[in-house]
Amino acid sequence: MMRLEDELRNSLRREEPPEGFAERVLAETAKAAPSVWRRLFALPILRWAMAGAVCLMLAVAGIEYKQAQQEQAHGEAAKAQLMRALHITALKLQLAQEKVRNLEASEKY
Amino acid sequence: MANTTAMEMTAVGLSDFADLMRANQSMVFSIAYHFLHDRAVAEEVAQDVFLQLYRKRSSLESDSHAMAWLRKVTCHRCIDYARRRRQTVALDDIPEPESEPAPGDPLMAHRLRRMIASLPPKARAVVVLRYQEDLEPEEIAGVLGWRVNTVKSQLHRSLKMLRQKFDRTSGERLS
Repeated sequence: MMRLEDELRNSLRREEPPEGFAERVLAETAKAAPSVWRRLFALPILRWAMAGAVCLMLAVAGIEYKQAQQEQAHGEAAKAQLMRALHITALKLQLAQEKVRNLEASEKY
Repeated sequence: MANTTAMEMTAVGLSDFADLMRANQSMVFSIAYHFLHDRAVAEEVAQDVFLQLYRKRSSLESDSHAMAWLRKVTCHRCIDYARRRRQTVALDDIPEPESEPAPGDPLMAHRLRRMIASLPPKARAVVVLRYQEDLEPEEIAGVLGWRVNTVKSQLHRSLKMLRQKFDRTSGERLS
């Protein structure tokens, strides 16, 4: 038994891999290595910070949009009011003009 | 590198991975080579194992953990590979070894390697881990995820098979 075991140990000694093995594996790992951005965002704190920043940006953009919409509605309302006021003024002027014309006509006769 | 943990290695990156690989490459390659008896296939398997180590490196706690992981993954890869290729190979189909003969009786070493390569995959794994890596049956059980008694009986059967094969082919009796 001992002789067979000794022979097995002798036959199964460790061997070095072919030349350039380590370099080939390292070249493969370099291909598989994640990019700087992926490595950066692999950190949980940065992922949370990024998610927070995106949420904040969306909230700010939403508020800005709502404010712009409100301003536009106010502008439209003011424009409508102005148009109505001008219309009323024009009517009043027309009435005044008619009265003046009537007075001038009665003075002639 | 001796006391550098894999976590530190992750922080440092590729250069420490290279150290870890160089420290273990002969172990991984030899397990694959003695198991598969083909240098090209053994190199391919060893390369796959190290690429898997590179991807998993952040989950490994120490060099000894990485070494145990490498042994385990290499053995399982070889068993899977042998099963896929249905390597219940006849002795005459096993290629001649391409490596330098071991010191001692080179003919005996050559013959034994071919015989080991003709064993069933699980028996091969036990023999390689016992006589290449010098592991005790308890450690082999840990690597392969088997019970210690299973490893012991597998080892006993493997040695018996090897002895019978050797006696059949040479006429010489091994003690």
